Amino acid sequence: MLMCKDLAGIASDYIDGELTGRRNLSVKMHLMMCKHCRSFIGNLRASTDLMKAHSSSKPDEEFIRRIDERVAEALKTRKPRDGDNE
Amino acid sequence: MNTAVHPDPQGSLIEDLKRGDSSAYKKAVREYSPGMLAVARFYLDYSSAEEIVQDCWVTVIDAIHKFEGRSGLKTWLHRIVANRCKNKLRSSKREVAIDFSESLEPELANRFNATGRWDLPPSLKFHESADTLMENDALSDCLDKHLSALPETQRSALMLYEAHQHKSEDVCNILDVSASNLRVLLHRARQKIFLMVETFQETGEC
Repeated sequence: MLMCKDLAGIASDYIDGELTGRRNLSVKMHLMMCKHCRSFIGNLRASTDLMKAHSSSKPDEEFIRRIDERVAEALKTRKPRDGDNE
Repeated sequence: MNTAVHPDPQGSLIEDLKRGDSSAYKKAVREYSPGMLAVARFYLDYSSAEEIVQDCWVTVIDAIHKFEGRSGLKTWLHRIVANRCKNKLRSSKREVAIDFSESLEPELANRFNATGRWDLPPSLKFHESADTLMENDALSDCLDKHLSALPETQRSALMLYEAHQHKSEDVCNILDVSASNLRVLLHRARQKIFLMVETFQETGEC
């Protein structure tokens, strides 16, 4: 039988839909009976969404500026190609 | 087919990059560099990683005309970065050391009793959406702090999979890890973020 600790170990696999049939079913059965594990799965999902919302919000401006400078410099010496003026 | 209008905005960006259009490069640099840095940081320290990302953009200026669009632009760029990093590691005879042995964070593993049931169950409650929560500057700063404290390997895996939305298969290719090891990296990183948010919500401290 799947225990809470086992479920915690494979929680990400469950969230990402990476578990195979029987294993997935045993997680679902456990979740029906265990509110703590339901809460843990919900929390892990919400924390991940939070991280996603956070990390897509702001690039490091200095890092971007340094690349822009390198690229601008390199574009000056770029060899012209067919189709450049289209 | 009318080639003057691009229904696919990425297709139009790629054409502009091929023409050497500087504003297209600015746009692409802003959009793709954070992900490229996440790839490079998996393999290298920050300053070497940043150098590799810059070098890759310079390479892209000449190599973009060879880009055929079989993969997306993002995946193509990430692969270039990964290959450069691997070459650099090879030439310095170094390897990325990663611990894949445990899928549970010790701090979480200690919250179960001997029978494997929760001793100290999760206390976290989310009443608001992620976007609303991120308006809390203290929480945002705390996430910053904890994301930068993650082992590079875990952070890169998490960023590529979550923030840059690569498929598992692509992340495995780019980071050169097996599917099961990627699962361990992702799960360890997510648990750390969960523990951090839980502490923050309970105590208001980071």
